[in-house]
Amino acid sequence: MPIAIKHLTHTYMPGTPFETRALFDVSLSIRDGEFVGVIGHTGSGKSTLIAHLNALIRPEPGRVIVSGVDVGQKGQSLIEIRREVGLVFQYPEYQLFEETVEKDVGYGPRNLGLPDAEVKVRVAEALSQVGIPEELSGKSPFELSGGQKRRVAIAGVLAMRPSTLVLDEPVAGLDPAGREELLKLIQDIHKGGVTVIMVTHSMDDAARLCGRLIVLNRGEVAFDAPPAEVFRHGDELVEMGLDVPECVKLVKRLNECGFHLPDNLFRMEDVERAILKEVRGC
Amino acid sequence: MLKNITIGQFFPGNSLIHRLDPRAKLMLTVALIVAVFLSQGFAGFALVLLFVAMAARMSRISLKFLVRGLKPILYIVIITFVLNLFFQSEGRVIFRWNFIAVTDGGLRRAAYMAVRLVLLVTSSQLLTLTTSAISLTDGLEALMRPLKKIKFPAHEIAMMMSIALRFIPTLMEEADKIMKAQMARGADFESGSLFKRAKAMVPLLVPLFVSAFRRADELAMAMEARCYHGGEGRTRMKQLRYGRRDLAAALAVALLIAAIATLNALGVF
Ligand SMILES: Nc1ncnc2c1ncn2[C@@H]1O[C@H](COP(=O)(O)OP(=O)(O)O)[C@@H](O)[C@H]1O
Ligand SMILES: [Mg+2]
Repeated sequence: MPIAIKHLTHTYMPGTPFETRALFDVSLSIRDGEFVGVIGHTGSGKSTLIAHLNALIRPEPGRVIVSGVDVGQKGQSLIEIRREVGLVFQYPEYQLFEETVEKDVGYGPRNLGLPDAEVKVRVAEALSQVGIPEELSGKSPFELSGGQKRRVAIAGVLAMRPSTLVLDEPVAGLDPAGREELLKLIQDIHKGGVTVIMVTHSMDDAARLCGRLIVLNRGEVAFDAPPAEVFRHGDELVEMGLDVPECVKLVKRLNECGFHLPDNLFRMEDVERAILKEVRGC
Repeated sequence: MLKNITIGQFFPGNSLIHRLDPRAKLMLTVALIVAVFLSQGFAGFALVLLFVAMAARMSRISLKFLVRGLKPILYIVIITFVLNLFFQSEGRVIFRWNFIAVTDGGLRRAAYMAVRLVLLVTSSQLLTLTTSAISLTDGLEALMRPLKKIKFPAHEIAMMMSIALRFIPTLMEEADKIMKAQMARGADFESGSLFKRAKAMVPLLVPLFVSAFRRADELAMAMEARCYHGGEGRTRMKQLRYGRRDLAAALAVALLIAAIATLNALGVF
């Protein structure tokens, strides 16, 4: 489902001494099947932006249009929008509450008013999608390990079968193996035809996974372009409290020393291959 | 939703009023409340109002905040006014409809009670708006210290209060986050019967309790790691000290009370 955001501004607690402008005049659009990364310093408005995609915050002023439906319109059924756009919050394991994993994952589908049989099918499907074995589905979610809890929480959103999946820093606080596993899982979901929007603090992940990056700086869109182009602006990114991926740094240093490597290499394997190619002279 | 609730409605600032010693501010607020009760008529109220307005101006609190603080007691004020209006029957009748009669004495009494209520709330708001929760509990602890002689757990109560106050915003933020997360999963907290709505709170309350206990555990650990062992022999980084401004404020309040007493003695209402 295509998403369009037009001139979106958001201010928290207006008219008080705690007034904070979190977003200012943000306009962007997301097409079906994209894998979009959202990066920006802490407090740049990333979480505020994605809360709008799910109608958790009313766009005011500005407009958010999800597959042709204006989210801010009065009387608009929000559950339809929430069915289309699945939102996985930061540390989603803190939202688990049911007695069993199965019941918790089924919470979303039940809220959609689906019959029990359908809920059961979706729960099983979502759990297998995130790689949680069937034996665990009768366990209490509070007994699982951190990484498992996180995957169960993500399954809770997947069970609603959203056409767009939005994830807020999905790998924060996981160990390296857990990170890789989860990122792989997100890639698989994307390959399955779901549009993915992912907030991340890792420039490396952003570069190698996303087809396009939206860079937020103090609530405004600083860049909205493919990774190769965004990371060409290294100095500006550093000024915004961000960085460039290690591979980009390496390529830049090598090119300063006389190499002629392309600037769209974001995996060490790719850089290695390019270096070998140049050294051996094809 | 939750974001509109403010508890411990501190309005940060650096004015003279903000910098008063919290103990002095607590005691002076009590004195100000005494002044309100002492006033027997509108002349006294006018003095108190003038005093509060000047103090509010000095503390640079916008009038909007003081007025907003009155909202929760609006109905109480209206009920007080109406009850007094109809159930006082001294004086000349100025309005009559069936068995309901309004007398000028009743009107006066009703206005008196309503204004008194508003002044009481506004005066105490002056305290809560200009004093952070932390210094408020510091002040309370210091004032309660003499009660330790009769085994009153002054330090523990102050510590519990400051921890509670410190964590209210955190828990509210957390509740807001969990609420949003469940809404993203199609939860509906706002419609349906009372029973349905109560049931809809479960997905909010369970995670909130879990996280409150986790936080309590972490906090206990962090406090022990920093050698907390109760109030015995504990010193403070910020010592409370009365200054000249506290004396000045006390004199101002004393003057106000004296003026009201004089008005009473002269019979000016
Ligand atoms: N519920 C809230 N109430 C008040 N201010 C908020 C709230 N949520 C976020 N903010 C403020 O809005 C700004 C943007 O926050 P956020 O969208 O969470 O940024 P990010 O996710 O990029 O770190 C920050 O300055 C933050 O303090
Ligand atoms: Mg965030």
